[in-house]
Amino acid sequence: MKKRRISALLLAAVATLPTISILAGCNSDSEIVLRVYNWEEYIDEGGEDSWDGDPDAPDMTTRFEEWYEEQYGTPIRVEYSTFGTNEDMYNQLKLGNEYDLLCPSEYMIMKLAAEDYLEPYDESFFDASKEENYYIRNVSPYIRQMFESNRINKEDPEDDSTWSDYAAGYMWGVTGFIYNTEYVDAADLPELGWNIMTEQAYRNRVTTKDNVRDSYFVALAILYKDEIAALDKTADDYTQKLAEIMNRTDDETIAKVEEVMREMDENIYGYETDTGKADIVSGRIWLNFAWSGDAVYAMDLAEEEDGVGLNFFIPEECANLWFDGWVMPKGANKQAAQAFVNFLSMPENAIRNMYYIGYSGVIAGEEVFDYVCETYAVDPEEYESEEEFLANTTTYDLSYFFGDAVEDATFIADREQAESRQLYAHYPPKAVTHRCAVMDYYGEEANENINELWSRIKGETLETWAIAVICAGVALVIAGVLLVKFGGKIDFFRLPPKKGYKRVKQEEVKKY
Amino acid sequence: MRLRFSRKTLGIPYAVFLLFFVIIPMLVIIFYAFTDKEMHISFENFIRFFSDPTKLSTIVYSLVIALITTAVCLLIAYPVAYILARSKMKKKFVILLLFVTPMWINFVLRVNAIRELLNWIGLLGEANYFNTIFGMVYDFLPFMILPLYTTLLKIDESLYEASADLGGNTFTTFTRITLPLSMPGIASGITMVFLPSMTNYVVSDMLGNSKVTIIGKFIYEYFGTNWHMGSMVALILLIVVFLSTWLTGGFKEESTARGTNNL
Repeated sequence: MKKRRISALLLAAVATLPTISILAGCNSDSEIVLRVYNWEEYIDEGGEDSWDGDPDAPDMTTRFEEWYEEQYGTPIRVEYSTFGTNEDMYNQLKLGNEYDLLCPSEYMIMKLAAEDYLEPYDESFFDASKEENYYIRNVSPYIRQMFESNRINKEDPEDDSTWSDYAAGYMWGVTGFIYNTEYVDAADLPELGWNIMTEQAYRNRVTTKDNVRDSYFVALAILYKDEIAALDKTADDYTQKLAEIMNRTDDETIAKVEEVMREMDENIYGYETDTGKADIVSGRIWLNFAWSGDAVYAMDLAEEEDGVGLNFFIPEECANLWFDGWVMPKGANKQAAQAFVNFLSMPENAIRNMYYIGYSGVIAGEEVFDYVCETYAVDPEEYESEEEFLANTTTYDLSYFFGDAVEDATFIADREQAESRQLYAHYPPKAVTHRCAVMDYYGEEANENINELWSRIKGETLETWAIAVICAGVALVIAGVLLVKFGGKIDFFRLPPKKGYKRVKQEEVKKY
Repeated sequence: MRLRFSRKTLGIPYAVFLLFFVIIPMLVIIFYAFTDKEMHISFENFIRFFSDPTKLSTIVYSLVIALITTAVCLLIAYPVAYILARSKMKKKFVILLLFVTPMWINFVLRVNAIRELLNWIGLLGEANYFNTIFGMVYDFLPFMILPLYTTLLKIDESLYEASADLGGNTFTTFTRITLPLSMPGIASGITMVFLPSMTNYVVSDMLGNSKVTIIGKFIYEYFGTNWHMGSMVALILLIVVFLSTWLTGGFKEESTARGTNNL
């Protein structure tokens, strides 16, 4: 869901890459096959755009094949395929397609777990003393705590297993708004918060995602704005309380959300999945609801094309925290699948993937911190005076994310970067992640209700009488056509013959 | 030895094709439409569709959008096809080619180009329904021109001469000869434009900013979450299209040269 979706053309070109590598791989009896099913464009695919910048740079799966054979002495072949939405992936799985490793978003992981599709990770996978367990050795403590504290199956109160039993993180991020600094005054935004979506001043200049879960979250945040604002951010149970509000799906809430969504529908420019970035870069719209990874991409693009100035804003009340993680369906080759996750979690590979796809990975560690510094830290000597330096920079603290892996996870960053630009979106500060809520799997019944709500919002609305009139009209047209077609055969409908002519019976006509 | 194939043997590949790609999928759709999540026979989806004003409104809107698109296409295409077919121009195929060339360019690219154009004019986001219809007319026009052109081309020149001999003026000639004899072309043009304009939600998504919802989008969204309802909507659309094809006489085999009898 949180994927940068590039035009269909590019996707088609990209989709052929893994196929080619499958064809090129040769078959032998002892070879293991690892079937990986991932988002489109969600892994380092090598080539010119990769970290190495070398047109011949191998993709991540090829690197894995080489590494695996070296490490374990058995040849392996990765069968890599991609999906466009969580629902597509779920349908493929349900149809009986077999995979060893999937990369759905958090709510889909919960749905799969609730429906008993998943295989848990081995205990040895979490043994940090073994060198090859790169995931557990490098995963950010923040992500790890997240995965260990969230129950995976909320439908069954008996089941107290957590995400970490079934899933290993891959990418994560938050949601917010990209805005055009020329038309939008940043000072107006904090007060509006999510109400940006219904603000008259931005009528026809703001977009939301063409996706029910994201729009539902926004509507909830608007609906319960006061209740959220009243929460004590310093309280121990703040996160639980916030999560409870942002996961309400009772009938009363749905009815109220419908009204908010109608208001949004009236006010917004449109719903988009991948046109939003182009529209905001071109200046057509002023505000675009976006996932943090997309925001980084759009801001980079706007800088390159020196068109508009774009910034990123995360509402003060709350934001949605999302994860994509690796899970193994039942019957998967666990050894190879876990080896793949560990391989991706080697810091250098995590950096390669992050660099290629532009999202934030879950892997911490020295190398990743160095990469972040390399990208975002500023050199004090570039500033002419001390005042200028102090006015334009700030100390950015990422110790919540890097934990013990880095001794002092702070660096000097450009103030704008840290407060409203790429750095802010790429690695949000603790203050932001603190006010984030995870959207759970709603459960089957609530899911159905919310989908119906979505179809009511998205569908067209006509008054009942209008439908009746149009149906009657259609019936009349059909009757009319029938009359023209067959009426001729019934004497009653035929015009009387002109004077001097005699009506010929159908049977007589046939004789000739 | 000479290899001989009977007509039956030659037909087998087509029969297999039709079975696997038309008949079985159709049966699967019908099966899914009339079952619930536990795969029990159920009419729930049927009832839900017809008791939900949103779905009915959406299908009505789609019908209206498709009707307008088809009508506009016909109004533009008929004169073009007529002029091209009847004129004595030497290079008329060039003009025909120009009308048809957009079909050779990738569909996504064309829609994107129209989007940019509408943005430049300032209509994008302001007139979603107009934009959708505009895009559809642009995209489907060649499908209307081609069948019209071929049928108009086939009309025997001597018929026009006969009409002129009998004192028919241009108008009479048109209403008594050209129009009736081009009915098959009109019918197949309408069929080829009408169906995609009810289902091609890429156009309504891109040019109507997803604020215009046609029935094809509903089917797409339901296939993400509920295949049974999705199949039901698809089945109802199938019936609507079947009806409209039947009404325009698209199923008649030998309507080619005789269209007149019915009028």
